[in-house]
Parts: sequence; structure tokens; C-alpha cells
Amino acid sequence: MSETADIVVIGGGIIGSSVAYYLAKLLGISTRIVICDRGPIAGATSASCMGHLMVTPDNAQEYALTKTSVDLWRGLHEDLGGFDYNPTGALYLAETDEDQEMIPVLHKQFADNGDQADVLDQKQVREIEPGLADDIPGALFYSGDGVVLPMLAAGAMLRGAQARNPNVIVRANCAVKGIERDGDGISAVVTEHSVIATKTVVNACGIWTPDIGDMLGQSRIPIYPRAGNLAITGHHVSPIRTQLLEISYLRFAHATSGVDPTKTDADSGGHAVNMQPQTNGGCLIGSTRQFRGRNKEVNRDLLRRSLQRAQRYVPGIAQAPIVRTWVGLRPYSIDNHPLIGPWDPVPGFWIAAGHEGLGISMAPVTGLLIAQQIAGMTPSVNVAPYLPARFVS
Amino acid sequence: MSDDRTIEADVGVVGAGPGGMAAATKLAAAGLRVVVLDEGQRAGGQIYRQLPNGTNGHGLMAEPPSHDQGHELIKSFEKQTERNVELIHGATVWDAQPGRLWFEHEGASRLLRCRHMVLAPGAYDRCIPFPGWTLPGVMTAGALQVMIRGFGVVPGKRALVVGSGPLLLPTVTSLLGAGVEVVAALEASSRWQALRALPAVALHAARRREAFWYLKQLSRARVKLQWGWTVFACEGDGRVQRAIIGKVDRSGRPRRGTERTIECDVVGAGFGLVPSIEIGLRLGVASQFAATRGGHYLVVDAEQRTAVATVFAVGEICGIGGAEVASAEGELAAASILREEGGAAIDPAVVARARSERRAADSMLRAFAPLPGLHELARPDTIVCRCEDITKLAAGQAAALHGESMRAIKVGCRAGMGPCQARICGPSLQAMATDNTACTMDLPVVQVPLKPVSSETILTAPE
Amino acid sequence: MSGRIAGLGERELVEFTFDGEQVSAWAGDSIAMALWAVGQQALRNSSSVGEPRGVLCNMGICYECLVVVDGATVRSCTTMVRSGMKVQRGGKL
Repeated sequence: MSETADIVVIGGGIIGSSVAYYLAKLLGISTRIVICDRGPIAGATSASCMGHLMVTPDNAQEYALTKTSVDLWRGLHEDLGGFDYNPTGALYLAETDEDQEMIPVLHKQFADNGDQADVLDQKQVREIEPGLADDIPGALFYSGDGVVLPMLAAGAMLRGAQARNPNVIVRANCAVKGIERDGDGISAVVTEHSVIATKTVVNACGIWTPDIGDMLGQSRIPIYPRAGNLAITGHHVSPIRTQLLEISYLRFAHATSGVDPTKTDADSGGHAVNMQPQTNGGCLIGSTRQFRGRNKEVNRDLLRRSLQRAQRYVPGIAQAPIVRTWVGLRPYSIDNHPLIGPWDPVPGFWIAAGHEGLGISMAPVTGLLIAQQIAGMTPSVNVAPYLPARFVS
Repeated sequence: MSDDRTIEADVGVVGAGPGGMAAATKLAAAGLRVVVLDEGQRAGGQIYRQLPNGTNGHGLMAEPPSHDQGHELIKSFEKQTERNVELIHGATVWDAQPGRLWFEHEGASRLLRCRHMVLAPGAYDRCIPFPGWTLPGVMTAGALQVMIRGFGVVPGKRALVVGSGPLLLPTVTSLLGAGVEVVAALEASSRWQALRALPAVALHAARRREAFWYLKQLSRARVKLQWGWTVFACEGDGRVQRAIIGKVDRSGRPRRGTERTIECDVVGAGFGLVPSIEIGLRLGVASQFAATRGGHYLVVDAEQRTAVATVFAVGEICGIGGAEVASAEGELAAASILREEGGAAIDPAVVARARSERRAADSMLRAFAPLPGLHELARPDTIVCRCEDITKLAAGQAAALHGESMRAIKVGCRAGMGPCQARICGPSLQAMATDNTACTMDLPVVQVPLKPVSSETILTAPE
Repeated sequence: MSGRIAGLGERELVEFTFDGEQVSAWAGDSIAMALWAVGQQALRNSSSVGEPRGVLCNMGICYECLVVVDGATVRSCTTMVRSGMKVQRGGKL
């Protein structure tokens, strides 16, 4: 079978779904957009990650990106809904003296961006979150963060795209087998079911982004899976209503790794607790980080360490029934920044991937920025630091 | 290393039903140390449920002839529990590796280390969603059996029994034994379909005796099995008060327009059983699918050995077959283990009995393959996933966008992601979501814990 | 009231509370069956729509009978009654 499309989005996870949504929003309804995923829609990393909407203040660029995105999430909740949006805010918890020292630093970072977070002492922490242990010396509360259920959000965005544009076609279980070239550019995407003539392709395949890149014979896109172990409780047992993070999470999660991500057995892994209350009263417990290829077996030792930290902060979680534990694979880019933009050597080939642990937070802005660039509009946020060109050799 | 939370045994047995008891009894009699883990409170499993300790229920309710065998089995098993068998009841097994079984027991996290393992976890009821099936008072046939035979509690005044297959009869007789009026007993299969079971029953002396016994009980109570009927809906204010029943065609599709309303305060639904294979999949044992064996079941060789070294499986986990199959296979698994331990060759009669019981069960159950048309009982607003309150409509929308696999439907609407881990909705979820009544379930992806256990249990699990 | 099958003889009584109300059970009862015997069939409110749910499988599979016992969420069909235990309806408040 052969068909044509103006744009083919490869990857139906949260990023591909957002790209499709904003393309449908910015381009006319005569634009035919095909989204293909080799498996279920939102069935890989988007179904096995946490749902953190997180504003990161450590530098102005990333603040702009995450703040814009989290604001977009609020709008998506109002426009589309159906993905358990939960504006929990976030409590950054300090335990050690070193942690305590991070509180004013983080507070200043928010202030420097014109935003606000509240410094809490031991008593105030418990007032905001009675489920916490009574010996947490201090915390920072940021009210702008939230939690969503990513796989439902991906579905909502794709349905939203289809509602705006009947020419948005979603294909689950439709693996891309190859990309045909026309000179430097692209002429078609070959899937297991059809050949789709197109000049524009968005590669939003998360940890599989490099595999699609390889089809074009380019240098390998430097994205590597970084495993996280997660556990979720049953419903109506969460002792907390606010999202919790160890403040050391920031050091741990949003710094470049010292470990070579291509080595799958050199990383002993790390953990810093992140607990997310769900709208159904469950609690999602993370998070750990480890490079070990695409292995999805739970690392019992790391999982236990994060459960231990969870119990240290929230003693009541000890008796909560754990319904499921699993591993999600984050798409880690080698410089720990996402790739959002054109891959210059191949006109018409775009990349939207490599968000590591901030893929859910950054999904809307990523979709918006890709759609704006494809539509020839000025991007709402400076994309220069995120252009894939930095990796073109 | 061993503390009181870690125990050691030659053989670990999961399940104290007929299969587990038969295996444990024989192994223990040969001098091996056996630990049996069971979630119930007493030996017997679901089929030979015993009343709580200290309850005098002897002779209170009429029992089918096969239960004599059950009593014998329990008696010899319990005799061994005074010697080489330790039965740990109230144990929830939540993770397994060859040689190791992790379980939660009275709030403690424990580990059983064993050189061999016999999996005999049995089965659970297959549920078919229909409007009103979430009302309190509507339950599985198995639940009624537990209530009556396991706890001596009276389910209600007027009971409706619906479903398909040989388990309807014991459900009816238990209700009668408990003094409950059975207002109707509806077998969804047609009489013609059920007749296909006749040769298998007629040729098997014990099953023949059993069938006559049940028919006698029913006729004495003037309860008539209505063939080709089932429940269309249950209604009531906070609990079931009435049921809408009607006729179904040969594939189980409801024939709208044949409805009748019937007053009742309890409904038992038994649409067959599903093998409890999760632990086997976790251990890496291969599986096969056969509708007449209840769905996915574990593959074993002619001596009950799985392809995973030291792991044996018996009874319902190898395909639904009933107590006689389970006990015969349990004995065979024990013989295989004893030979591996350097004992005598397996008695060919033991092999022959297990095989002939399995053949007889297969040929009888062929007549009661799940009727795909029953999946049309649910309406768009009927909840199909009870844990997450997901309707048939929502599951259908998920399948339309995310894909038709079990995984796709789960991620698309969260169906099957609750604490039952899709044991209840799973067998019919794909048929419901795709509106393809004949669609069977994908092999489940098993994650740890195998059943929910506390965070503390996972955290403190011995290695 | 559903009650007990006649002729079972006497068993030791165990007192506990369900949503604050006193319940007399028999030693060896599961919570679910003790409550059924006194006519309490709705054991939890369902997760999102909050409709009443009760015993479905009675053998620890379905998690429809979840209740809260002294702060912990448990299956009432596999948890035995203990004297003085405080049981609350499970699920959505």
C-alpha cells in the first residue's frame, strides 16, 4: 500500500503525541499527519515513567523551557483533560546539613527567574504535609509543579489532534522499516504496513531515536537508555497529598552522569526519592538511575533503597500495599539536554527526543517548538541550546 | 544464612489443594522435608474447603462421592504435617526464582529456600462482565462455595446460579445444603453442547457416580437446570435485589426480547476457571493456550517437570482439569522428584493414572469451552475493570487509539492495572474492548509482586 | 440477616468494630464472612465512581473486598477477625 503524508511522526509516546497535537493546532486541516509507533501508543517509556511536571530553575534557559511547558500542561488539562492532572506542587525535602544548604540556593534560583518558592522549617513542613516524618529539618515548597498520568495524556493529545484535524492518522503496531531518500532529503517512510511518501519526518522515538537515525546513515544520535525502578501502591492508601523530592534529587537527576552510558555493566546506579500522589489515592515511588542497556528486569537492590528512603520520609508508606514494580528506560542524551529541532544534514528530518527524566514535564513545549519550527514560526522559547546540530559531526 | 524469616526445605509446594497435598504427602512419606505455602487457613484448597478449626460441620451438608477422596487426602496430608510437612497458611507468595519463594506471612517478609518446587496454586473463577455485576451480592460460584463450605455462612434467602460448566452443580447443591432457595440455575450452554461431555462422563466411573449424585440432589430439591439461559443484568439499591435473565444462542449471544425478571438476593456466577499461572510465568516456565483448559496454562513434560530446572507444576496451573487430575499429577510430580533424589524409578501406574485423568478431563471440558457470545452481555456503560472503574466504552476507546493488545488497552485506559493485576478483567478485556467476542487474552506480563504486598515486605525481604 | 448454617454448633465469639459499630463474629471467620453473616455486604467504595462493592471471589484474587484494619488496607476475605480490631470500609472516602 502506498499513501502520502505531509508529516510523519515516528514514535507515539508522550513526545510524538505532543508534536502531533501542536502540528494539528498550528497547521491547517488539510495537513495530513501520520503518527506511527512500533507498539502500542504510549506503551513504552511513557507508560513506565513517573508523571512529574517539574519546573527546574537552575538556569534561565531550562527554566523558560520547563516553566512554559508546565504552564502548557495546565492549559491542556483545561482544553483536553482526562489524564489525572494533579496540581500537587512539590516539596523539596532536606535531611542532612548539606541538603539544608541547598534550600536557600534553590530558593534564590526560583527568585532569580522571577518566580517564588517558600522556605519551610521543621514545623511548617508537617503543616503542609502531615504524612511526613516529624524530623524533617526543612524543605522548599514550590506550588507550580504537578503530576499527570503520561499514557492517558498522550492519548488525550492524540485525540485532541484528531478533533482539530481529521487528517491526523494514528497507527499503533506499525514499525518503521526504513526511510527513503531523495537527494539529501527524504522521499518516503517505509513501515511494516505501507510506504508513506513524505518530505518531513519527526523522530520522536525516545531511547530508540538513534535506531531511526541510523536508517539515514548519519552519525549515531547520542541518546542512551537510563533505567529507573518504580513501585506503585494500591488506591486510597497514599499518606501524602504533595509531591515529594529529596532536595539531593536535583544534584542527582539533572547533572550529566560521570558514567559512560555505552557501558552497560559499569554503573552501580543511584537513587533519590520522588513520591507522587495520584488522583486515585495511590502513590508512585521512584526514582533510581542506572545505565545498563535495555534490560528491564527490576534491580531489587536499587528498588529497595528507594523504598527505604520513601519510608524514611513517609513512615506510613511502609504498610501501603505495593501493586507493581517495574523498570522504565529514560532517553538520556549525552549532554543531558533534549534534542529539539532539525537534523541539518538531512533536510526535513527533525528530532524531538533525549529528555531523560524531564520528558513529561517538557512534552508540551517540545511539541510546540517542533511545530513552530516546521510551520516557519518564531519559537516561543529560545531553542538554540537544544538544537540537534550540536551533535552533527 | 538462616534466621526465623528464612526457612529451608527439600521441596517447596505452592498451594494446599489436592495437587499440592498429594505431592507433599508422598514426598514427606519418603522422608523429604516439605514446606507448603497456602493463602487459605486450612488444607484442602478451594475444592475441598474445610470449615475453620474447631467447627463441627461433619455430616451437616450432603457431599458428593468425590469428597470422600478429598477427606482421605486431607487426612493423610494432615498426618504428615505432624512429621515432615510444614503447612504455612495465610501465606501470600509474591516473588519466585528457582529454589526460592518469597512470601508475606502475618505481616512478616519471609523466604523459603528449596531444592525443588511444586507449583499447585490452582485456579480462579472466570468472570464475564454484565450490567450490575458489581453490585454487592453478585459473586463468583467459587465465592459462594467458600462462604458455605469454608465458613458456614448462609449466602442469602433466594439465590440465582448462572454460568457454564460442571461447577454449577456443586454450587447449587452447596446452596441447597445451606438451606437457601435456588430460584433458578441457568446453564448458558445448550443441552446439545453439553451432551458432548456425556461420553467422557459415562466412561469414567467416578465422574459418572458424581453426575448421578448431583442430578439426584437437584431433582430432590426440584431445581431444574435451564439450558441456554443466563443472566443479562442484575439490579438493586446498593445490593442485588433482582436479576434479568434471558436466553442465549449457541455461541452465548444474548437473545434480546427473551428477558424475564427474577427476585433474588444473591447471585453466583461460574463461567469456568482460569489457571493461576502467574508464578509459573515469573519463573520463566513456558505456556500454551487452550480455551477448553481455561486459557493460558503451563507446559510440563510427561512427568510434570517444567523446562525450568527444579520446578514442577501440577493440577489447574497446567490447564483446568479438576481435583482428580490435580491429585494424580501431584503424586506423579512427587515420584519424579523422588527419582531425581536418587529414589526408585517412577511406577508406570502413577504416570498412567495422571495421563488418563487428564485425558478424561480434557474430553469432558471440551463441551464447555467459554462461549464468546457472552461478551455481548456488557453494555457500553458496564464496568469491565472493577479495580479502576473502567467501562466497556472506555476500554473500547483505548483499544481504538492505543492498539488491541492487552498492553495497549491497559496503557490506554488503565484497565487491568489495579490490585487484582487483571486477574478478573483480563480474560475478557480484549474481547470487550475490541468488540470481537472471540478475541482471547494475550499472555499476561507478570510483574513483581505477584500479588500486592506491603512496601515493608519488599524492603525487608530476605535474600 | 444472612446468619449461620444451622447445626454448626457453638464457636467462640470475637468482637470487633466495623465503621465504629460493634460486630459479633465467630472465631475463625474472615472479616468479610463475619460481616456478611450480620448483613453487611458493602465493604468498600469503588476507586473512582465510589459505588459500593462487596465480596466477588472470596479467595484473595479480586481485591474488591478491601477494608482498612487498624490503618492498613487488607483483603477482608483473607484476613481473619481478631478481638478488638477496628475495621473500616475501604476505598474512596
